[in-house]
Amino acid sequence: MHFELSEEQNAIYDLVVGFMADKWSGDNRRQGLDSYPCQIPGELLREVADLGFYGISLDENSGGGGEPLLTSALIAEAAGGGLFPSLLTTTLVAAKALDLCDADSNWLAKVISGQQTVAIAIEEPNGCWGLDSIELTPQMDGQGGYLSGSKILVSDGDFAQVFLVAALLPDGPAFIRVNANAEGVEINSMRRLDGQSIVELEMKDVRFEQDDVLGDGAILNQVYDIWTVLIAADLLGNAQSVLRMTTDYAKERQQFARPIGSFQAVAHRLADIQVDVEIGRSLLYGACLALEEESDEATALVSAAKAWMNDLGVNAAETGLQLHGGIGYTWELDIHLHLRQARSNAVTLGDSKYHRARVASHLMSPEY
Amino acid sequence: MDLKFSPQDEQYRERLRAWLDVNLKQHQAVSKAGDVEPVQAARDWQKTLCEGGYLGLSWPREYGGQEASLTQQVVVSEELARSGAPAPINTIGISILGPTLIQHGSEEQKQRYLPKILNGEELWCQGFSEPGAGSDLASLQTRAVAEGDHFVVNGQKVWTSLGMIADWCFLLVRTNPGAPKREGISYLLCNIKTPGITVRPLRNAGGGSHFCEMFFDDVRIPRENLVGEVNGGWHIARSTLDNERSGLSGVISIENSLDRLLQISASLNRGKERAIDSDSVQQQLAQLWIEKEGLKYLGFRNLSDQIANRPPGPAASVGKLFASRLRQKIGKAGFDIAGPLAQVGKKSPHSIARGRLQAMYFDSLGYSIGGGTSEIMQNIIAEKVLGLPRSYED
Ligand SMILES: Cc1cc2nc3c(=O)[nH]c(=O)nc-3n(C[C@H](O)[C@H](O)[C@H](O)COP(=O)(O)OP(=O)(O)OC[C@H]3O[C@@H](n4cnc5c(N)ncnc54)[C@H](O)[C@@H]3O)c2cc1C
Repeated sequence: MHFELSEEQNAIYDLVVGFMADKWSGDNRRQGLDSYPCQIPGELLREVADLGFYGISLDENSGGGGEPLLTSALIAEAAGGGLFPSLLTTTLVAAKALDLCDADSNWLAKVISGQQTVAIAIEEPNGCWGLDSIELTPQMDGQGGYLSGSKILVSDGDFAQVFLVAALLPDGPAFIRVNANAEGVEINSMRRLDGQSIVELEMKDVRFEQDDVLGDGAILNQVYDIWTVLIAADLLGNAQSVLRMTTDYAKERQQFARPIGSFQAVAHRLADIQVDVEIGRSLLYGACLALEEESDEATALVSAAKAWMNDLGVNAAETGLQLHGGIGYTWELDIHLHLRQARSNAVTLGDSKYHRARVASHLMSPEY
Repeated sequence: MDLKFSPQDEQYRERLRAWLDVNLKQHQAVSKAGDVEPVQAARDWQKTLCEGGYLGLSWPREYGGQEASLTQQVVVSEELARSGAPAPINTIGISILGPTLIQHGSEEQKQRYLPKILNGEELWCQGFSEPGAGSDLASLQTRAVAEGDHFVVNGQKVWTSLGMIADWCFLLVRTNPGAPKREGISYLLCNIKTPGITVRPLRNAGGGSHFCEMFFDDVRIPRENLVGEVNGGWHIARSTLDNERSGLSGVISIENSLDRLLQISASLNRGKERAIDSDSVQQQLAQLWIEKEGLKYLGFRNLSDQIANRPPGPAASVGKLFASRLRQKIGKAGFDIAGPLAQVGKKSPHSIARGRLQAMYFDSLGYSIGGGTSEIMQNIIAEKVLGLPRSYED
């Protein structure tokens, strides 16, 4: 019985937070909002790679850091709090996906070292979200086939050289590797609310070969769960940052000759967010552990964490905005950046309703 | 990170399960037969638990405890709750007074009181709140004046849970009215049979009468019943409040309520469907499950802190506040899901689960008041966890 972070994990978390505070700020995000997409300097990506973040939760013999999934979640949490580019999380997941799919080790090494960006394309414009959205069915021939259709809301697609496209093959769902510059591929920016990159990927008769097919339905589910939990971690870090900012402000800002934090109408709202953050952190650790141990409840716990963090992230940011008063409503203050990010992540890979429905099907399953 | 119990703990769990299989069934049979008066039956059950070695797990052996590991304590609270075993009737004595005496009591007091708290021979109630002192407990007015080798107590206590059946009461009294309010309070142990004490039952909002008011009229309490120093009672009382507010056992009782609600939702018809088939009911139940899991994993984090010897401190208020809110959400969800039939009395054949939903609902409403109100928990979190300035002069 040992349900807490290791010393190693605490150290990594502190290192990541420090690194991000050093290298990145809300101003980069604001620029992205004015001239989409939010650009990420190449040297920053290389530094992140040099710190070993991208492969941190991969096996050492896959070239990774041998840490549990939770360590990746801590990095995603720090990124969420520091408004750091989502490309970090996207790449953490891409590396994990390639590893799970037993992809060529040179390819994986390229991704871990930041030389190639791989984006994962799941959702389609059919009004369904998450895995329910996958309808794309390729035309198969002997050696491979052709893909026609479109994927939307693909995170960091503006920077990707390669896409892993989820599709329904004759043997069930799988990923298909599609190069960004392949014939028949068109990439249209979708301009995420927070200035980060999401794209529509249009495919017209895009050729793929048999060895471009990776993974299977089980792996797709796993990748989806891992990604979902990392986005949940991002939302948690975001809420934690807003809570810290707003608490600091409530201690400083004076009205009626006293700090506004001494008014219970203010203090109790912050206390409630503190409670929700603690519950969220507990759910995050629980979900990561369940995934690591491949527990029967893993999917339900992942959805629990995501549904909770969706609501927490948005509520914390909206509350933070309100409790800053007029200054909270300005472009200069980072609160709206946190709110934008929370609003986007709260609907990325399934909104709260979608994830509660996944929890409900667990509760109604005969095994429960 | 792992939530695994050691093989020894798992063996311990197996033994406990086998033990419960025999002893709990016996107790349930006795209760059902109704030949033994209910309070006596509850005392007997506690005695059985005690003799089985499943009470006072953290207490020193010399006072009847088990000196068991924290993980064994978790195993016991998990298994007891899961089996549906009733909590020991002397819970207040076990969870609040016991730890207080172990920490602050004299050697004689420990030997005299602790074993009988555990075996249920002496039931305890907590005489803290007064008509004028609830959230602001430190402003309490019940007076105790030293006279020779006694304290003479005058005043009134209220909302005293189990006061009607208790044999003893631990009391906070004012011994120095001139001192700042927290510096003039003492902690006394008082036999309910002492002349001058009147106990009156109070009916609670749910219709039961589990708490009382107590009047003290020149009640003489021997000086040896003072815990700690004269005027040192406030700090003693505070030191065990966090105990009252932390702990995993609440989660399992919440889990049981939620499971019951799931079963009820699956058994209620709505036209051709079951209530549980509706999207909105599923969304609501899923949300409750999510929150219950959050509370459970928070409990594991707190437990890990305790294992590493980090006391819960003000963070215990987080769990207390969240748990009482969750209980209330479950209670309200019962009413939502059952619709108009939720109001039907348990004797009517139309009643849902023989009035269980009503009991769950009313029980849940007390949790955000007893043991410190939710607003006070919010104050504590704001001030002690977030470091915000105090909201009021004190
Ligand atoms: C089921 C139950 C069991 C109980 N058992 C016991 C027992 O065994 N022994 C015992 O001694 N007591 C017991 N109590 C009493 C309980 O501890 C008190 O009721 C509680 O501390 C609140 O005090 P009060 O009733 O005087 O309410 P008040 O303190 O008058 O509070 C009234 C309202 O004002 C709010 N309020 C008060 N102060 C503040 C503040 N500073 N900031 C914001 N809001 C504030 C409260 O939150 C509450 O909503 C029990 C109560 C219940 C409901």
